[in-house]
Amino acid sequence: MTTMLYNRIAVFRAERGLSRRELAEAVGVNNQTIGYLERGDYKPSLELAMKIASYFAVPIELLFAFQPFEPVADTLRRAAAAEGAPQ
Amino acid sequence: MTLLARMDRLVYATRLDRVLFRRVQPRTLRWTPLSVFAALIAGYVLMAKTVERPDRVFIVGWLLFYGAYIAAAFLRIFGPRFVPSALHPLDEREMTVKMRAYALSGILLTGLTMLGCFYLAAAGLLGWWQPHSPNDWIALGFGVQATAMLLPTMIASWAEPRAVPDQDD
Repeated sequence: MTTMLYNRIAVFRAERGLSRRELAEAVGVNNQTIGYLERGDYKPSLELAMKIASYFAVPIELLFAFQPFEPVADTLRRAAAAEGAPQ
Repeated sequence: MTLLARMDRLVYATRLDRVLFRRVQPRTLRWTPLSVFAALIAGYVLMAKTVERPDRVFIVGWLLFYGAYIAAAFLRIFGPRFVPSALHPLDEREMTVKMRAYALSGILLTGLTMLGCFYLAAAGLLGWWQPHSPNDWIALGFGVQATAMLLPTMIASWAEPRAVPDQDD
């Protein structure tokens, strides 16, 4: 049985305004590989996963997870609610 | 416009630059290698039908067979990437796909060669057709080579998901 590995590469890439090719060149892979990763069609090696996490300067578990990530809108809503909450 | 500028324009218009600098977008060819296999077999059969002097059927078979042989070599270039270039080495995913494709095609090619040997043994006993002329044997050799080129391309084409559209193109 294969385990699904979810990732937020597309979100981080969009946030930084990077193209697939730019990210691919930065981490030393083909740009198709980045496309397959984002689509969930390919599971990266630990080395590649760490390279991508290091490129975005985030811990690897913020980028890859075995459970689906919550939508960005929900995260922002929760953060806003926490900020507005009484101390 | 100077001659050099015209030549440059022709190169970019025909996208030859992408072929020359190996910036060809790899394609998942899926069924295409099967049609080349079919052309190889049909060409071989047409050539083998000619017993004596080459006739029109032989020439059609020859063109079909060697056309398919050349197509097999081109599919290797335009299909999933197997050959690294100086600027673009194969990455971990491409290496894995290549290893799997070549491993499986090696098994299949061994099986096909065994079947071919068994057929030749049976053909001698039962009086079935078997290669006899030098052309039959030479074409058989090229056919094996074309199969060895096509099988990994076909397997890798199916092993890879559909290509992701390139935003930078």
